[in-house]
Amino acid sequence: MVRVTGNFQSESPLHPKAFEVLHAAFDNGWANPGKLSQSGSKANKVKNEALESISVALKVPVDSIFAFSSMSLGFYLGIHGLGIQGLLKDSAPLVHGATDRKDVFAIASRVSHQVLPCALDGKLISPTQQSPNSVLALSVANAETGVIQECDDIIQSVGTDRIFLDATASGIRAQSTNKYSTAIFDSRSWYGPSEVGLLVVKNKSQWSNPLPHLNAAHPNFDASLPLLLASAVALENFSSEVVEANQRARNFNSQLREAFAQIPDVDIAGSLDSSLAHLLSASFMNCNGEELLRGIANDGFSVDSGSACTADNLEPSHVLAAMGVLTHGNIRITIHPDTTQAEIDSLISSIKKNVERLRS
Amino acid sequence: MIEIDARGLRCPQPIIELGKKIIDLKSGEELVLHSDDPATEPDLSAWARMTGNKFSKLENEKFLITKI
Repeated sequence: MVRVTGNFQSESPLHPKAFEVLHAAFDNGWANPGKLSQSGSKANKVKNEALESISVALKVPVDSIFAFSSMSLGFYLGIHGLGIQGLLKDSAPLVHGATDRKDVFAIASRVSHQVLPCALDGKLISPTQQSPNSVLALSVANAETGVIQECDDIIQSVGTDRIFLDATASGIRAQSTNKYSTAIFDSRSWYGPSEVGLLVVKNKSQWSNPLPHLNAAHPNFDASLPLLLASAVALENFSSEVVEANQRARNFNSQLREAFAQIPDVDIAGSLDSSLAHLLSASFMNCNGEELLRGIANDGFSVDSGSACTADNLEPSHVLAAMGVLTHGNIRITIHPDTTQAEIDSLISSIKKNVERLRS
Repeated sequence: MIEIDARGLRCPQPIIELGKKIIDLKSGEELVLHSDDPATEPDLSAWARMTGNKFSKLENEKFLITKI
């Protein structure tokens, strides 16, 4: 099965160098780095080296990086940590985008919040009034459509200096703003293992640990050390490959868009020029998303979908709905560094054939 | 006025049923679509943009479609 799928129904393929190092990492990184045993100090050295490597790749100070193991936890840490004494209160409402991850909506559901709508192109619409006391949660790029936000414009229009950046989809693929307080990254965005996230706290005076804790000097969250090592190796290697990977993905994405444009009644979310090049979301009118996925899978391709009929709760993608893009007959394609021209050609043929079949 | 009862049908069936009926309408004519599928409302917005027709929400699960 060819994986042209993202992080919705599967993990990203592991970077070959991370795969190589994973076995050795479990061998060397098993001890608790916080303990004073010989093995513990060896593990601590290995962890520090991994964080040093990550800090170089992300261009942030090493002491601003904290690893965590669950993406939902990362959103909680990054957003709530900017509230008063580490928790959002009504006096510090949360402002966030309509296309943000469900984790952000989950946090917003418990606090005073304002949702920024988006236009058909997926770009958030700036508010007419500033909210200087708010916490702004801003996604650099959308994980479904790849649409990259105009972060500096949104930050200026909201007018707060407490800014959480969700860089889980963009990783190191897109340039972002420097005006943030906290940011989170997902290891899978650079082909590292899942369940490794990184929280960057740029300004420590703005953030406090929102989890119940006894010692503020020692964060009570962390990631598996072997997985963190593998993530650091993947990041270091992908950093030198990302420009070529983006160029290659852009070429394939362009081919897919041109081919889809020849099919009647297709709705493509966002433009290539303002999106992450490796992501593409397209909807084909009068096609059942589940049947479309199954037909494409029968031809050997694993893709994702944002259609309601493919979701557990039968709700369509909130991202497509917020943009006003057709939610049925939707497929999401993720172009990986090892995706080949022959695979793209076959995928195009498969999609054309299956759309035609489902419409007949 | 034509009424389409698509209640109980899941996406994309309400939009497909709508597509079948709207071709029989003349410009300016209207029909009513009943649908309880949560995907129908956002899909109608996209459908109207793509086909050039119009829709408005009359009440919960009831939509007025105008052929342009």
